[in-house]
Amino acid sequence: MSLRDKAAIVGVGQLPFAKDIGRSEDVTALEAAKLALEDAGLRPSDVDGMMKWSIQVTSENAIARALGVPNLRFFGEVGYGGGGGCGVVGHAAAGIAAGMARCVLVYRSRNRGSGGRPWAGTSRERDQSAADTNETALFAPYGFVRPVDQVAMFARRFLHERGYTTRHLGWIAVAMRRHASNNPIAMMREPITVEDHERSRFISDPLRLLDCCLETDGAAAVIVVAADLARDLKQKPAYIMAASQGMGPRNVTMNNFFKDPLLESPGAYAARDLWRMAGVSPRDVPVAQLYDAFTPLVLGSLEEYGFCKAGEAGDFVSDHGLEIGGRLPTNTSGGSLSEAYVHGINLIIEATRQIRGTSLNQVPGAKLSLVTSGNMVPTGALLLRGD
Amino acid sequence: MADDFVRRTGGADWIPYWEAGRRRELRFQRCTDCGLWRHPPGPMCPRCTSMRSEWARASGRARLVSWVVVHPPVLPAWKERVPFPVVLVECEEGVRTMGGVVGATAADLRMDMPMVVDFAPSPDGDLVPQWRPA
Repeated sequence: MSLRDKAAIVGVGQLPFAKDIGRSEDVTALEAAKLALEDAGLRPSDVDGMMKWSIQVTSENAIARALGVPNLRFFGEVGYGGGGGCGVVGHAAAGIAAGMARCVLVYRSRNRGSGGRPWAGTSRERDQSAADTNETALFAPYGFVRPVDQVAMFARRFLHERGYTTRHLGWIAVAMRRHASNNPIAMMREPITVEDHERSRFISDPLRLLDCCLETDGAAAVIVVAADLARDLKQKPAYIMAASQGMGPRNVTMNNFFKDPLLESPGAYAARDLWRMAGVSPRDVPVAQLYDAFTPLVLGSLEEYGFCKAGEAGDFVSDHGLEIGGRLPTNTSGGSLSEAYVHGINLIIEATRQIRGTSLNQVPGAKLSLVTSGNMVPTGALLLRGD
Repeated sequence: MADDFVRRTGGADWIPYWEAGRRRELRFQRCTDCGLWRHPPGPMCPRCTSMRSEWARASGRARLVSWVVVHPPVLPAWKERVPFPVVLVECEEGVRTMGGVVGATAADLRMDMPMVVDFAPSPDGDLVPQWRPA
């Protein structure tokens, strides 16, 4: 049995992103859930399942209680912060395929713009999947605790071995910003150049400010329903053609430097399973949302999801390959780098819009739409398809 | 809160690593049954599932695999030290670990250069393993 095409995303909702949204994550999660249900033409009484990120501070019962959901017969969570998003939706589809639910609400609300930084111990967020050992802080006695440091450590070796340069990273930032420039809810819309990237200040050399995603307050929700229910709702369904997760060997959260090959990410494993389940190849995919908490992750995903060979991702991005009209328009609403950073739920929503034909940077006639989760941590991926 | 965070470093499995550092020794966990060195430490050998291990002294010789130079924003304990390098090294025993740099600056670092362990305090005063060009 496969979950292929058994479920579809039929509702999406997101609040305008902000540096300080001015209300709690509990309140904004509900607002986003309401928007997503309205978008689908469904009511809270239709919801019988919920899936969330384990780092989410608002529990399912609080959301269900407030919305007036009569019963949840399926609920759960996926860990590892930004690695979790596609897995959250994938588990929703798996629960539906297994007959455990018909209508699953997925939500992520996060006050990361106004609410403190997990690496500084000033956030309410605790990822339950990593709570015992806090693997992200293994090297705290050396001042090595920020996600940007952990990605920068990977990035320097990766650039060195592949022959990529920081200008290649700049092209990724430029493409994301270009896509955000016509998106009214994107946090950063002013166009940038590769030179702007190269002049921005170091945060963790070799990474600069413009290699980093945005500190965002945001909330968004997605409704996943059984395929037979999807056909009769308000929106064109985005069927979940394939869903996968991957961890790889000897994984350490963010500090994933203790296995071989050193530069292989969990994404390599999620990619293999995704293409196998989907029965299509990367060449068939016209648009992607590749997790971009930091620019180097996009270079790695282009290789590991099979859009180019190892060593070719630099030319791919500097030839405008990520932009509209390029080889693989990527992060078409601006991504984590320029729209908002909410652990990738905005990427899932944009992937859905591409199937609906309603993206502000629409790839004409897109029938397949890829979205991936964070690849420095246990990860996942989704392939959506239209009719 | 922020300063507590500096010492939250992986829990009980790691205590022998930091304790060895305070004695100016670099030690890693090694399986008593099959001899596999492992790092980060953990309760079980990933090759043979043995739960018996010892903390064996490492040669202290390593190869530089990668490094970063940390710029602001940083935790309060590090504000006076930025920018500072942190290195990822692969030890002769086959395990990788990280540390700060002593006896050199970030500009002196070259990919794959030989490194040797040294010991210098972290901001909270404990001696911890650090690395210098060989």
